[in-house]
Amino acid sequence: MAVVGVQGHLIRVEAHVGRGLPALTVAGLPGTGVQDARERVRPAVESAGLEWPLRRVVVNLSPANARKEGPGFDLPIAMGVLAASAQVPSAPLASYAFSGELSLKGELVGTPGILAVAIAAAGARLKGVVVPRSNAAEAALVEGIEVIGAPTLAEVVGVLKGRWKPEAASKGEDAAAPARSADVDFAEVRGQGAARRGLEIAAAGGHNIVMVGPPGAGKTMLARRLPTILPTMARSEALEVTRLHSVAGLLSGGGLVGDRPFRAPHHSVSAAGLLGGGSAYLRPGEVSLAHNGVLFLDEVTEFRRDVLEGLRVPLEDGRVVITRAAGAVEFPARFALVAASNPCPCGFEGDPRRACRCLPGRVEAYHQRLSGPLLDRVDIHLTVPRLTRAELMGSERGEPSPAIRARVQEARERQRRRLAGTPWTCNSQVPGGVARREARLAAEAERYLADAVDRLALSGRGFDRAVKVARTIADLERSDAVEQPHVAEALGLRAPTANGEVAPVG
Amino acid sequence: MLRRPSDLRRTGSGQAARALRRGRGGEDRGDPALRWPSAFVATEDDRRALLVLMHCASLTARRLLELASVAGTARESLGAVLSGRAGTESDRAWAARVDPNEVDGRLRAAGARLVAVGEPDYPSELLDLFDPPAGLFVRGSSMAGLEPRIAVVGARNCSPTGREIAGRLAGALAGAGACVVSGAARGIDSSAHEGALAAGGRTVAVLGSGIDVAYPRKHRRLIELIEGSGAVVSEYPPGTPAEPFRFPARNRIVAALSSAVVIVEGADGSGAMITVEHALDVGRDIFAVPGAPTTALAQVPLALIRDGATLIRGPQDLLDDLGLRQTTALTAPNGAAAGSGRVGLSPSARAVWDALTAPITPDGLARSTSLPLSAVLAAALDLELRGLIVQRGGRFERRPGAECH
Repeated sequence: MAVVGVQGHLIRVEAHVGRGLPALTVAGLPGTGVQDARERVRPAVESAGLEWPLRRVVVNLSPANARKEGPGFDLPIAMGVLAASAQVPSAPLASYAFSGELSLKGELVGTPGILAVAIAAAGARLKGVVVPRSNAAEAALVEGIEVIGAPTLAEVVGVLKGRWKPEAASKGEDAAAPARSADVDFAEVRGQGAARRGLEIAAAGGHNIVMVGPPGAGKTMLARRLPTILPTMARSEALEVTRLHSVAGLLSGGGLVGDRPFRAPHHSVSAAGLLGGGSAYLRPGEVSLAHNGVLFLDEVTEFRRDVLEGLRVPLEDGRVVITRAAGAVEFPARFALVAASNPCPCGFEGDPRRACRCLPGRVEAYHQRLSGPLLDRVDIHLTVPRLTRAELMGSERGEPSPAIRARVQEARERQRRRLAGTPWTCNSQVPGGVARREARLAAEAERYLADAVDRLALSGRGFDRAVKVARTIADLERSDAVEQPHVAEALGLRAPTANGEVAPVG
Repeated sequence: MLRRPSDLRRTGSGQAARALRRGRGGEDRGDPALRWPSAFVATEDDRRALLVLMHCASLTARRLLELASVAGTARESLGAVLSGRAGTESDRAWAARVDPNEVDGRLRAAGARLVAVGEPDYPSELLDLFDPPAGLFVRGSSMAGLEPRIAVVGARNCSPTGREIAGRLAGALAGAGACVVSGAARGIDSSAHEGALAAGGRTVAVLGSGIDVAYPRKHRRLIELIEGSGAVVSEYPPGTPAEPFRFPARNRIVAALSSAVVIVEGADGSGAMITVEHALDVGRDIFAVPGAPTTALAQVPLALIRDGATLIRGPQDLLDDLGLRQTTALTAPNGAAAGSGRVGLSPSARAVWDALTAPITPDGLARSTSLPLSAVLAAALDLELRGLIVQRGGRFERRPGAECH
């Protein structure tokens, strides 16, 4: 079984034991990781108390045109050799998919991508999969397939000979219980009501968001809590996330990933690290690991420009396609983007208590880095102030995440109903022109918006964004029409203009 | 009513007074009564010699003054430098190399002229300085026609509010017929110039670079406009680049040319302080616009007020204290006038306005008005659109001069 991208592909493993000097040859485009299997398999077989045929062994992986990567081939190669040397019955082998890395002691070690293997096996109508025990829970998430989680190679042989029965792998259901108790909650955030409200709107409409504020304002703390108010994941969404994390080898303890992921790559991340890639074994990037969750880019101005540019495609399409000479691989990557930045290089521009020490030219250059095509995909701009002690003391604890999530879920439901029959499910996905037509602006709200657009010198894009965000606010307020206060609040979340100037009145 | 600098000397114990006692130019200040000889620049030869002398970097205004009081004329002074009796090696090298005809050409190309000490156009106020320049390069009108002159200076890294205040003060001064003096730097300086220009008034820029060098470069257009309305002056010959050490020296000319200095914003260590110290040295009045004590940019004005500078709340205070009267209608800079409340303000917007006595976060507003946060945010946007308030760093504040009836 080979995993390419998040897709499992069935690979047939044949073994032939013939005359010649003792040797093991692997044919069929094995990658470096698979070549390694030659060294591991023999000690593992011998440690399991089985015999390694002291003859020339040829293993063929077919189809021969696809490159095979990863350590998961240890177990199938071992099984092929054992069947060829008549140490295990070969009949049941064809109805099972095998995947797993072997240690020299013959133990089966946790292997990435097992969920993809199980899904492919189920798709090919195989009877079951044989995987390392630590991956059993993950494989068990797939319906209609027998999962044999074995701790060692010896046990695998035992199963095939009918001598050993694995304990039934726990079905994924328990692990899939909605959202394992999250360790963060919005109730822990004091003050910052405007930012909390902004995040609630972002969650409700699926909008991307930028937070600007001095160091210590709490931007990271706020972003970390966004996943706790996003709607709970449907099982299909959770499976997608689990599969991606499985391929990346990030699953610990197996089972379904119930919480929406929160990924915060450092600003030194490479394009391959952010978007996915790698030379031989294509790994999902941070954008895919954040699939169905939140991608948080702290200090967004420090990221390399070309890396940020690469985000445009996933932001637009919800997926990343990595094309290599050997073929193209697609990873899903639909995430909520939260970008954070200081207001200027020193961080204190606009802070009343500390003077900004930056040259004005540098502040402008900094703001320019914040603009650009990436931020065209961001609907909500928040300014997060650093609160004084008095302001912190005066504010009560925030509302707990579940209460906010309930409102978000209801707003999403309204959007789904309204957008039924369209390709979109939430306001942020709706193209500008459609949003304008379908937003159901009240007459007064429309007048107000038109007036504000003039005074704030909003661009066409800025106008569309304001309409979409106002629509989300109306959804949160359970209003069918977008009213004037919704528009006003949405305009307050607009991108700041270069000089922050409001055109003269009248 | 006006506090004089002498009050500061007597009572001040703070930063400004300390700076004053420390004095400019170190401990040994020499003879303060030193005067330029009356015939220093009497002939065309003297004028050409002065052009050369002004290129000698180590021959500061004070050193040139000391040399002149011995040598008597510019020609003799140049002779002393060339023969090695005065100045340094590099001065001598410069003096031998500079061609006054070429300098004259560059001055003409820049539309500038040299006004030497003793000439009728030379602003006599500069003679109050311990180190008055021997000559001033001037583009535009003569200082004599630009009176009264009031300096408006402050931080380069100022806040938008400071910018707005500087513009309004300068506009009011211009509207009252005064000429606004500043340093053409970023921030408060340029806002002051722009405020005066927008009000159709006169303004003078004192450059810290050569008379034909625009610094910062993007102020080139602004400097041309200033030249057209009033004058651009500098004590540095054409081609001198802007360098940090020249700005404090420039500030002494800003101070001396003005009968009063208004400080708008300045954080600790601001260059505005240097202008104030020079202004006190030459006995000019100091005005300062206060800010919240927690605000970094209010530190210099507040320290000055504590030491006896006159507090002004806005243009009217300044005009009253200076005995000036508004003659033309006020126009704020760039037409971006602070608005005024008019009919149609919603009750929640009204409540938010009333609560905005200081910069305050949306949370704070929601608490003090007992309105839901979403209503506060909507009302704030409404006020912002009316030009009554601004949002800065996540807090809302009233725009200076905005009114709500």
